[in-house]
Amino acid sequence: MSAPAAPVTEGVALAGAYQDGPDRAERRARASQSFWTAVVGVPAVFSVLRLGVEAGGELQTTLLLVANVGPVNLLAGFLTTAARLLSTGLVAVFALGAVLRVSVERMPPGIRRPLFVRWMDIVPAWFVVASFLLALVTWPLLYLPLLIPAFVAAFQLTPARLHEQRIPRLLLLAALLAGYGWLLAPTLIEAGRQREVLALLLFVAPPVLALGVTGPLPAAVIRPLASVTEAAVLAMLVWAALPVISTPVLPLTVTTVESTEGVTEDVRGHVVTVDDVNLVLLQERGGVRYLPVDRVRAQVLCPSEEELPRRQLRVRDMHVEDSLLEGLGRRVRPVHRIDAACRTAR
Amino acid sequence: MYHLFTHRLRSVATTLAVAMTLSLSAAAGCDNRREPSLPSVLDKLRESQIDGQPRIRIGVAATEPLMGELRNGTYVGFDVEIARYIASSLGYEGDQRIEFVPLATEDRIPALQGGVVDLVVSSFSMNEDRKKLVAFAGPYFVTTQEVMVPNRLKDRIRTIEDLRDPAYKVCTSGGSTTEAELEKHQIKALVVKRVADCVKGIREGRYDVVSSDETILAGFLSQHPTEFEIVDMPFGTSETLGIGVSIGDPALRDLVAFFLDKSYQQGRQGLTSPWLAAYHRTLGPWMKQPKTQPQPLDVPKLVDFDDKAPRR
Repeated sequence: MSAPAAPVTEGVALAGAYQDGPDRAERRARASQSFWTAVVGVPAVFSVLRLGVEAGGELQTTLLLVANVGPVNLLAGFLTTAARLLSTGLVAVFALGAVLRVSVERMPPGIRRPLFVRWMDIVPAWFVVASFLLALVTWPLLYLPLLIPAFVAAFQLTPARLHEQRIPRLLLLAALLAGYGWLLAPTLIEAGRQREVLALLLFVAPPVLALGVTGPLPAAVIRPLASVTEAAVLAMLVWAALPVISTPVLPLTVTTVESTEGVTEDVRGHVVTVDDVNLVLLQERGGVRYLPVDRVRAQVLCPSEEELPRRQLRVRDMHVEDSLLEGLGRRVRPVHRIDAACRTAR
Repeated sequence: MYHLFTHRLRSVATTLAVAMTLSLSAAAGCDNRREPSLPSVLDKLRESQIDGQPRIRIGVAATEPLMGELRNGTYVGFDVEIARYIASSLGYEGDQRIEFVPLATEDRIPALQGGVVDLVVSSFSMNEDRKKLVAFAGPYFVTTQEVMVPNRLKDRIRTIEDLRDPAYKVCTSGGSTTEAELEKHQIKALVVKRVADCVKGIREGRYDVVSSDETILAGFLSQHPTEFEIVDMPFGTSETLGIGVSIGDPALRDLVAFFLDKSYQQGRQGLTSPWLAAYHRTLGPWMKQPKTQPQPLDVPKLVDFDDKAPRR
């Protein structure tokens, strides 16, 4: 992968490093290949892996799921639960890539461009914007402020780009920060009252950090930062992927079935498929049940325990653990009823 | 020289900003996996002794019109409606999942202590003596003690002093707070098992006055609106009705208090609440003064699935 340094003049290097014809094209092609492989391949592999996890590791159950969960359902189910993870990975890569790129470009020619920089080179701008938009609508509100330094870094929006003169620039910055403060003031007061230090930090620090995050970084930092962050992003993806793999792809229900005359039983599980004869249920505690359709008396949709909120904070009446999309959804359908059967059926 | 210095400074500031942003992101990532700090409704349900029971057993009155009454094989009344709301919140929806146990006034505490019932929703006044024997969730209703007299005596019995007259036979139910309150006012009362027996006795000419909670009396008034009148007397203390739970099951008490408070909060927001629905269907039309749900006490903070729903 290491390329011999071409003897180029400094001016050429500043205009754009590595303009040595076929070599550059080849590198770009390879980077492009690895990037798109990761973007398309990782979700595809995940989608299939999680079916195995959902089936409880049983081969026959996995095959039953494969037979009944269509590729479109699988992809849609994956996107619903993993869009957050996917956008986090992409945003991290683009933000770090942009900071490293601006740092590397100030360096003498010959230095090997880190992986994220090479990825940043080949990614079209619309894809970067789309990734940020996906993050904007899927990240929990609590973590959304982190998107500010990430966005500023990815698009290299230094404060100088606000205005060329110092005073108007400061005024604009002050107005932006004041608007941000006004939006979050009630939440910050409540977080202070609840002694939620991390929540306070997550809301207050990112806009301040955004002022200085664009780069360039000192030469001594680039190489360690590039290696550490590459490893960290990979580790983060693997670590965060575990809960995503184990998130069910089928909705959780409690089905009341009359097993014998007058005796009903509540079965908690995920509906795999329904036909004229049977309702096929993947039980939450494991195993598949075939319930005769004419014996089913009731069925309700239940939330899973992972959906329980961990915090009691809101931003303008939206829960901080909701994403913008979820918050909007709750406004459209504000009443949330928990069916009694969800509480007692195990 | 100055340019070099500012360049260095900027590099250091950038390094710091990048490092802090990364640390903050890492902290956010770790936080994303932490357990909720508050217990959830499900946690409490698992702690409680009703966990795994196919049916919940609730002690109610069977002979108190408007509050708890067995009519044509079905339990009806304000207490029964509250009991149904609590049961459905705990996961027991529909009468096939609830076992209503008819309890006389004096059997309420022994039934809880003996494990015959899981809850008692039966005009159960919360007081310090009882709190030593059973746990209470609530209050869910504030009532006062009143007397009900037949029309023939309505002009003659108007004050507490009149009740002390040995010519009038005052009747009340045993094991009730009314009995103690009458004693406090030196009123000699004839104690029977149920308030219904007092009303029956008055109609048969054996007693002259019945004293009990205004809710219970309103119930009998609704049955015989032309025969009786409720007389407002200054007995002083108001009664707070609560839901009785075994003292050994604090988790269940917490859950009941939590769901009473949920209804209370709905009512405060001007929405219709299970409490208001129960009240308007039963007691509402028979009360002299309209009532609202009192604020339940000692409500635990619990996490539930609907916590993220918009509040406004």
